[in-house]
Amino acid sequence: MLKKFTLKKLLALGFASTLTLGMLGSAANAELIDELREPYIQSFKGKKVAFLPIAMGFDLTEGWAEAMKAASEKHGFEFVIRDPNWNTNAGTQALTALIAEKPDIIVAHNPDVQSYARLLKKAEKAGINVIQVNMKSSYSTNVYVGADWVEIGEAGAQEMVKRCGDGSGTSGKVAIIQGPLTGAASVYQVKGVMNILDQHKEIKIVANQAADWDASKAKAVTQTVLQQHPDLCAVFGFWDVMTLGAAAAVKEAGQTGKVSVLTNGGGNQMACDNVKSGAFDKVWSYDVPGQSRDLVSMIKMIFQSNAKPGDMRVALYTPLKVISREAFDPSICWSLKK
Amino acid sequence: MASANAFTRARYKYFPDHLIGELLSKRWMESAVPTVILVGVFGYLSLNLPHYLSPINLMDLGRLYAEFGLVVLAMGLVMIGGGVDLSIGSMFALCNIAMLSLINMFGWPLWAAIPAVLVFGAALGAVNGFLIGYLKLRAFLTTLVTLIIYRAIVDIGLMNFAVEISGGFLESEAWDFIGDGDIFGIPSGLIAFLILAVIGHVMLSRTRPGWHVMAIGGARRSAHNAGIAVKRTICLTYVVSGVLTALAAVFFAARLGSAGSDVGSGMEVGVLTAAVLGGISLGGGRGSVAKAIMGGAIVLLVTNGMIRMGMEGGSSSLALGIILLFAVGIDVKWLKNRYKIINKVYVSPSYLELPDAPSPEKGSGTPYEVNDRLKTVTAIGLGTIEGPEDVILDHNDNLFAGTRHGDIIKFSGPNFETQETFAHIGGHPLGMAFDPDGNLLTCVGGMGLYGVKPSGEVYKLTDETNRTWYSINDDSRLRLADDLDITPDGQVYFSEATIRYEMHSWPLDSLEGRGNGRIICHDLNTNKTHTVIRDLIFPNGICTSFDGKSILFAETWGCSISRYWIDGPKRGKVEPVIPNLPGYPDNINRSSDGNYWLALVGMRTPTFDLAMTMPAFRRKMARRVAPDEWLFPNINSGCVIKFNEAGEILDVLWDLGGENHPMITSMREHKGHLYLGGISNNRVGRYKLENADPDWVGIDSYWGKKS
Repeated sequence: MLKKFTLKKLLALGFASTLTLGMLGSAANAELIDELREPYIQSFKGKKVAFLPIAMGFDLTEGWAEAMKAASEKHGFEFVIRDPNWNTNAGTQALTALIAEKPDIIVAHNPDVQSYARLLKKAEKAGINVIQVNMKSSYSTNVYVGADWVEIGEAGAQEMVKRCGDGSGTSGKVAIIQGPLTGAASVYQVKGVMNILDQHKEIKIVANQAADWDASKAKAVTQTVLQQHPDLCAVFGFWDVMTLGAAAAVKEAGQTGKVSVLTNGGGNQMACDNVKSGAFDKVWSYDVPGQSRDLVSMIKMIFQSNAKPGDMRVALYTPLKVISREAFDPSICWSLKK
Repeated sequence: MASANAFTRARYKYFPDHLIGELLSKRWMESAVPTVILVGVFGYLSLNLPHYLSPINLMDLGRLYAEFGLVVLAMGLVMIGGGVDLSIGSMFALCNIAMLSLINMFGWPLWAAIPAVLVFGAALGAVNGFLIGYLKLRAFLTTLVTLIIYRAIVDIGLMNFAVEISGGFLESEAWDFIGDGDIFGIPSGLIAFLILAVIGHVMLSRTRPGWHVMAIGGARRSAHNAGIAVKRTICLTYVVSGVLTALAAVFFAARLGSAGSDVGSGMEVGVLTAAVLGGISLGGGRGSVAKAIMGGAIVLLVTNGMIRMGMEGGSSSLALGIILLFAVGIDVKWLKNRYKIINKVYVSPSYLELPDAPSPEKGSGTPYEVNDRLKTVTAIGLGTIEGPEDVILDHNDNLFAGTRHGDIIKFSGPNFETQETFAHIGGHPLGMAFDPDGNLLTCVGGMGLYGVKPSGEVYKLTDETNRTWYSINDDSRLRLADDLDITPDGQVYFSEATIRYEMHSWPLDSLEGRGNGRIICHDLNTNKTHTVIRDLIFPNGICTSFDGKSILFAETWGCSISRYWIDGPKRGKVEPVIPNLPGYPDNINRSSDGNYWLALVGMRTPTFDLAMTMPAFRRKMARRVAPDEWLFPNINSGCVIKFNEAGEILDVLWDLGGENHPMITSMREHKGHLYLGGISNNRVGRYKLENADPDWVGIDSYWGKKS
């Protein structure tokens, strides 16, 4: 009875609307519906992204977190941060707990190539998509967003060859200051550096040490090297914040301008300021705003495509920007909004 | 008024006040504060973190806990031995790298690599042990130096091999099981930890090496003087610590396979905090496996919880620090003040209403009327003996009396002028009785039931009875065995006055008025002991009836004599004989005319009787007033009473001035004389009885005349 009635009503309604549409004319007929927009909006609902940095409180992680947080507020997905504060063991605990909590995406910033590997595998097995950011684990997950460390290492080494190599009139002595030796940024940058320097035997690496991303350690290392080798030609530090220590040591030794300080980083305002002041000679920036946009894009893509772990193996290597005194462009750098 | 009394009575009958003090006195109460914190932290986290109680999460926590717990155990052992091991985090890192490089770089099989790493850990610990144990360097500085040295080795190793070590990824089921496996949901690491914890607990609390470690931690010099190999034992604690740390590192390596440079750095702080928080003393000598387990669990839960709650960076360390400071502060205060609290709350008075006491006043018409008949008592061994609670005589007219010094003194000769130490027992001998073979059995306060052979050789009959499962105080140990008697079939019935106080503090029991005592039976034939009657109010004197079918026993604060049937139709029943005495009864012994002698150690006073019905008043007194000022029962002057089987009072002997023989605790009739003992006296009294059998010897009435 009800069904019949409804059917009748529907028919009447259909007839009526046809009439109405006809009367309204061509204007209504022309309205197109963007069929991607609604699923796009819906794809964020009830989703959760967890960010596991090495630590909060420095430009890279704060920059990424800011962008992801802004996206989560705009699109209405949940965003949480677990901060192990430079403690790898705490990081593994946080990751273990996250696997149990089952967010839709874990954005993992690996302290080294090994510590999280097993757990990331476990996370994927549990159906969680993992985006690794800037520092890769030896275990590859669906997505990697971050710097191409080999490329940066090669660029740095080429600059060293240019400044200290044959015909430069220098001693050819260079020092390399790494982060933690097992960190992806160290492992692959060293590889890039060696790719170049193996062909340039005139460059002598007089120091190749780990300062564990710590500026004071980098300063101590550089001071020692400068005492042993006052004729040092260049220092290549694997991260700008850490390399500030090396620059300070060079400055204290009165060697600014004589010892080139080369480094790389997220392109924070600090990098531009220091290039301007002469503390750094050249900085390769992997542009945190750009990385952040890549990150958010990959999050959106995973949500909309319903990708499962293992569906893809994608790497988005960040295009490099170069900050140098010769071609100084302050617009390259960025700073946190807050 | 009556209902108010009934209420008070019910309140003190059913509310177990005395358990509070007993609970606090337990050694495991030292861990009360950490336990409360642990439960609190766990409760808070499970309420505030999603999925906290899920099996997966608990398993993950267990896995983390196994590694941390092993290291806390290692640190705890060293600390109990009076040392400290700051190098524990560096050792952990070094063993982790050793394990990873053995399997990833050198391709060793697990069965070889794991033992090799454990031996390596032992060697690292042995370096500490040798320096601290044998060369007697300070533990703090030595391990601080090894911390730096081991960490430097880690750094050098990483510098050269980090990438190779990290590069490999051993594909092995056994390795996966160690790192990630479980048996019935219990992580592999936790199983190993639990097994080691049990072994550690048994070792530490039940075996010689464990006791040696405790003794050295408590007092190194004393331990050395006691013949303990101090150097070797200390060295071994560091070796064991190294092995436990190495094992933790193996589990860590299997779980993460990480050769990061920050592995184990700062670990010593967390581990040290865990050990101290659990209650392991920094000064050594105090601690247990349980405490290590507890402290480790708290620190792990707090640190892990902070990470999980998304606390940012420094704030989580700060919060952890504050919680730990707070906890350690409470813990220290608790340990320091626990004994003060116990002193305040241990005495827990209850309600005891006695009928009005019959008056001993002259002209009162009661059988207890005072007289001065004991004025003629003569003193034996005046000033040479202290505290003869009981006296006994043998066939040869030798008199035996116990002393406060733990001896049994034998007086002999026509006027007992010869005095010699018959036996040295060690505790204060109280009640005495001869067994059929002529051995002198005695209840020794604080020790139990002992025997002395005619040769003077001392042997133990028992110092324990069956444990009641629901009692908090360990009631299997005999605290205050008081008086005994032997039945014709060889059962020794003896009283234990109280299970709540020790020999030196027995008068405190009088303030409670609770049935804290019991009667215990020891079978001379089977050497078995069991408790016969419980909840008696200071049971004291015991005497087998002439027919051997019952025993008479006195309850001192209960002011009564009762009969316990051991044979015949009423077997197992207790019935009153004298329900209401004017004083506090002590020992009961046979008289030559078929009746019984009873000593009243002191007389009741209306004040104290009233106080016994006011438990709140007595509690307030015990808490607020110094013990010297407390209201105690009068146990200074009393009398000797003779009564018959029916409980009728036949005779009473008083020493009115209390000058000759105050505070009589026992009397023994022998050949027409009565010999008087008193637990605070410095003499044995001798009183000539009129109309008594001049040939009657006490032993004969038990075991027949000896030809």
